[in-house]
Amino acid sequence: MLSALILIPLLGSLVVGLFPDKTGKISRNLAIATSVTALLVNIYLGWQFDPSTSGFQFSEYAPWLEWIGLNYSIGIDGLSLPLVFLNSFLTLIAVIITDKSLARPRFYYSMLLLLSCGAVGAFLARDLLLFFLFYELEIAPLYFLIAIWGGKRRGYAAMKFLLYTAVSGILVLASFLGLVWLTGAESFAYEPLRQHTLSLNAELLLIAPLLVGIFIKIPIFPFHTWLPDAHVEASTPISVLLAGVLLKLGTYALLRFGLGLFLEAWVFLAPWMAILAGISALYGASCAIAQKDMKKVVAYSSIAHMAYILLAVSATTRLSITASVFQMVSHGLISALLFMLVGVVYQKTGSRDVESLRGLLNPERGLPVTGGLMILGVMASSGLPGMVGFISEFLVFRGSFPIFSIPTLLCLVGTGLTAVYFLLVINKVFFGRLTESLAHLPRVKWVEHAPAFVMLFFIIAFGIQPSWVIHLSEAQAVALLTGG
Amino acid sequence: MVISPTKPTRSQLIEEYTQRLESGQALLQDSPQNLIEVIGVLKSYGIVLDAYSVNLCYIANTQFLKLFPFFKYFNGEINPKKFLRNIWHDRINYEYAEYCMKSMMWHGGGGLDAYLDTPEYRAIAYKVIKAKFKYNPLMLGLHKLFPDFLPELLRQMCYYSGLGQFWRVMSDIFIDLSDRYDRGEIKSIPDVVQHILDGLVKDAARPIIYKVTIRGEEYEIIPQSMGITFLMDTGVPYVEAIFFRGTPFHGTISYNAQAYQIPYDQGAFGYGALYADPLPIGGAGIPPTLLMQDMRHFIPDYLMDIYRHNIRGEGDLRIQICQSFQKSMFCVTTAAVKGLAPHPLDTTDPEQQAANRNYLKGWLTRLFDSQMITVNQN
Repeated sequence: MLSALILIPLLGSLVVGLFPDKTGKISRNLAIATSVTALLVNIYLGWQFDPSTSGFQFSEYAPWLEWIGLNYSIGIDGLSLPLVFLNSFLTLIAVIITDKSLARPRFYYSMLLLLSCGAVGAFLARDLLLFFLFYELEIAPLYFLIAIWGGKRRGYAAMKFLLYTAVSGILVLASFLGLVWLTGAESFAYEPLRQHTLSLNAELLLIAPLLVGIFIKIPIFPFHTWLPDAHVEASTPISVLLAGVLLKLGTYALLRFGLGLFLEAWVFLAPWMAILAGISALYGASCAIAQKDMKKVVAYSSIAHMAYILLAVSATTRLSITASVFQMVSHGLISALLFMLVGVVYQKTGSRDVESLRGLLNPERGLPVTGGLMILGVMASSGLPGMVGFISEFLVFRGSFPIFSIPTLLCLVGTGLTAVYFLLVINKVFFGRLTESLAHLPRVKWVEHAPAFVMLFFIIAFGIQPSWVIHLSEAQAVALLTGG
Repeated sequence: MVISPTKPTRSQLIEEYTQRLESGQALLQDSPQNLIEVIGVLKSYGIVLDAYSVNLCYIANTQFLKLFPFFKYFNGEINPKKFLRNIWHDRINYEYAEYCMKSMMWHGGGGLDAYLDTPEYRAIAYKVIKAKFKYNPLMLGLHKLFPDFLPELLRQMCYYSGLGQFWRVMSDIFIDLSDRYDRGEIKSIPDVVQHILDGLVKDAARPIIYKVTIRGEEYEIIPQSMGITFLMDTGVPYVEAIFFRGTPFHGTISYNAQAYQIPYDQGAFGYGALYADPLPIGGAGIPPTLLMQDMRHFIPDYLMDIYRHNIRGEGDLRIQICQSFQKSMFCVTTAAVKGLAPHPLDTTDPEQQAANRNYLKGWLTRLFDSQMITVNQN
């Protein structure tokens, strides 16, 4: 059953890619059908999932290339289930918000579904090499999605993304190979490798490339420079997926492999990682303040908010680990919402320039609903109570403060700065008098806002009832720390 | 060498508009689009003014000196259906008329304002108050303690009545204008201006009278003998107060008095209908004006078709109405400017021309910061 989550988007991708379709309507409908099916399977699995027990559930195994130690071994646990959900949900959203008139729709939707397949495969993999394959699999479709349907500098952004993530992949692979080589394991299976008895020095040697590779993926300062370019040049649905799901591959790998495989080295390095998280949060926030492009503001905000996850994982407490998973979900929803709304603004006004946009909250001639949703999204990102951002950040800081008080305070300053840079954007773009050049904007249909409303619903629902997500990962957080 | 066109200076523009008025044109450019907008919007304005006028006169005649006139917008017809409609706000926004009345009262000017400061008015007011509260010792005691309070309420009623009577005439002028347009008699913006001017001149000397009846006895609060007339005593102060100084257009621009954004001299105020920004700022859900909200129900089909073809369709209807309304008000202003000119504007006498130019310069200088240039650019 679990394989269905990988096979459905994979088959969908193949069918969409091969099915003749001139208008793109069939491809779009097939992509929607595929995404809905995957989401329904996900809901079913979530329903059957037992959150009270740790360890992988619905595990599936098939021997594959045993001579190199690679097997098809997948399973889902409290760490991966919320992210798999997020992936299915955001894939559907991304398909829905895609411009119906875009060029080469068959290839686009095919790549989009392949991207989703790669992400879900990585989240489900119980084999290090299988994880790596899926981790690499999503690079190619994302490269095409940016390089073909991106903005003016899409070639540059796509190439930069490709180079950075390729290096990230090589470093992750080097770490995995080193681990298998040093431990003398016969396969890349995850659980047996967790039981290794390597020395601290050996662990440090192996975790170093892994961490650098993951920091590129998350991304953490100073490995972040590919992300703002990728976001700015990517189309809105791709930005939604990039921020909502693909960055989470990095933080997931951090938890699953960094902490899961190298606990001793992790504890040794944790204070430095916490400091790096604090610096990254402040750096992201400071850069966001200086940006003139709305999308870049959200992109740098992403860097700051992803740093909170690193802080939480570094603290290595039961609460902070749970918080890190919840922060992944929270950031996935909020950043996706913000990118989506920036996309609406760009589509209607033709600009994302904070200096030239003004008065868009005008009730009659502006984009009042988009503006209202944007304000709510900003409130959620700034961590206002009643929304998911507040709970996730509160848990992160509550879980990490007793362990790393100074880095936590740095991140707290970063979260304060979130309100600063987003309010600057809101004030400039949405308040004041609508400029004459913007006085004849087309209306935004309710259908165009529907995905944003759905996301906002979850942002508020998880803000009021966070246990719906948190209880899924609590048991696994304990298991991760106790080696269970 | 390519010479880029330079922006005309203030004096050049004033000269251009002066020549335009002298040549029989209006402040608003003559174009088929402007004509349709002006006629259509004035038709709906005429209907709304009729309702405002009826209500203002009803309040002045029957609700005077009532401390709590809860049902003043019901025009004497109180029933559950109308009550529900009232609280649901599915009705004419009579509040707008009251705001205009208060604006006129605040800014004053003209014979009506002067009369209300005379001992004659005070004597009549005292008489009316005594008659009204003959059997109400509480109110009479209150009147003794605060002798300015009730006369002030009555002064307000005089403005209710004055504005009600003024709008009665204007409503008829606008409806008649629309009928003439439908018959093909109005073909240009100068025709519109001439029609309004003729209407104003025709009723210029119409007396403004305010009488109330208390227990069968009639009291003349504004007697005919005072010589208060339609044009100079209500029309001109109305134009000054509502067109120039301050109109109750909600949600347009807010000003900060402490930051000296509001001139100390009320005569220098420029917040009237001719100056208002049709685009509301900030506050979501606030209509540009209550007036536009009312007028949208009576826009004729030919104008509605034009509005619907706009990129936002009916989504920004109130803004579109507001823009058309501003255009129409420049026609009314043109009629007022022509009507009040010391000499006919097409005079060939150099002395009269000089006097007219001086007169026009005063008006145009004030109008320069209004939306006059903008409406002619769109």
